[in-house]
Amino acid sequence: MMKAWSVSFSAPVPYQEGLDIQRRLLKARQDNLIPDTVLILQHTPTVTLGNRGRANYLLKTEEEYRELGIDLFHAERGGDVTFHGPGQWVLYPVLYLGGNEADSHGYLFNLEETAIRTLGDYGVDGFRREGKSGAWTDAGKIAAIGFRLKKWVSFHGMSFNVSNDLMGFSTIVPCGLVGEPVASLKTILGEECPEMPLVRDSLLNHFSSVCNRELERFEAEGDLPAELAALIKG
Amino acid sequence: MSVPQDLFYAKTHEWVALEDGVATVGISDFAQSQLSDLTFVELPEVGTAFEAGDEAAVVESVKAAADVYAPVGGEVIAVNEALEDAPELINNDPFGKGWIFKIKVNDESEVDDMMDADSYEELCPED
Repeated sequence: MMKAWSVSFSAPVPYQEGLDIQRRLLKARQDNLIPDTVLILQHTPTVTLGNRGRANYLLKTEEEYRELGIDLFHAERGGDVTFHGPGQWVLYPVLYLGGNEADSHGYLFNLEETAIRTLGDYGVDGFRREGKSGAWTDAGKIAAIGFRLKKWVSFHGMSFNVSNDLMGFSTIVPCGLVGEPVASLKTILGEECPEMPLVRDSLLNHFSSVCNRELERFEAEGDLPAELAALIKG
Repeated sequence: MSVPQDLFYAKTHEWVALEDGVATVGISDFAQSQLSDLTFVELPEVGTAFEAGDEAAVVESVKAAADVYAPVGGEVIAVNEALEDAPELINNDPFGKGWIFKIKVNDESEVDDMMDADSYEELCPED
């Protein structure tokens, strides 16, 4: 297994700050200064459009989003419009995918697999749908994927709904898919919904085995190797 | 995985065919297969000058977007406009009809820094 790092954040991170951290990690990974590194965090309420994201999938005006306390961003990732907010884990793997350790299953498959196995930990049946990426349940889409490669290093990634307020999704047409419901572990499991840290650990465990990376796990607020601390804190 | 012998390859998975001072550039079979079905290609403008390593184009599949780099420096003299309507040409024929742009090369010796087919094959995963 390749050695890699993960960094988890306990408090929600504003989208711009998360993006700045990813960009610093991306550059450091391209220059081979750090191993593959995975961020796992929650965002403050944010709607993001992908590279080709169409603004007609936004159901509110910019001003209305501001009044709702939702930030709006055009992200340079693949995929369409989505919503992030507290109670949703976002996984941002910064991985070099251009060498001979790349998995012939492909990275998209591996992210989906990570979500599906995590659902399995809580007795929820997750599956893929032909022609539609992400992870799905009988109650709707629960994990959304969109990423970018620069010099074959990935950034952006996957979001996974745990206990987030799904109201934010009603302000958009998620992933541009009209009439498709969005689900969370909370909507499926109710009172049985696991705590956020437990789901974070499930996601990291499955990411590690699916992507074949041995994770040395750090917390952003805790002790970090000096080179990593400089990239996280900026 | 196909790797034609008569091309030069970059670490970032572009290929170059050099003829009469003009480099035709595309992405390799490995690169297209990692990105899966392409849905959009952002082409450079004819007349743009690039140095080796500059971001020149973006290829996108449903969930991924990846930068394509100019493997050699020079001026873009042609782009493959067929990709605007049919980005899948890159998936179906990455070394042929899926070429992306042509550069009038400033310094042909820059291809010496690229890999030959055998070295490139070692960089790609075995499947």
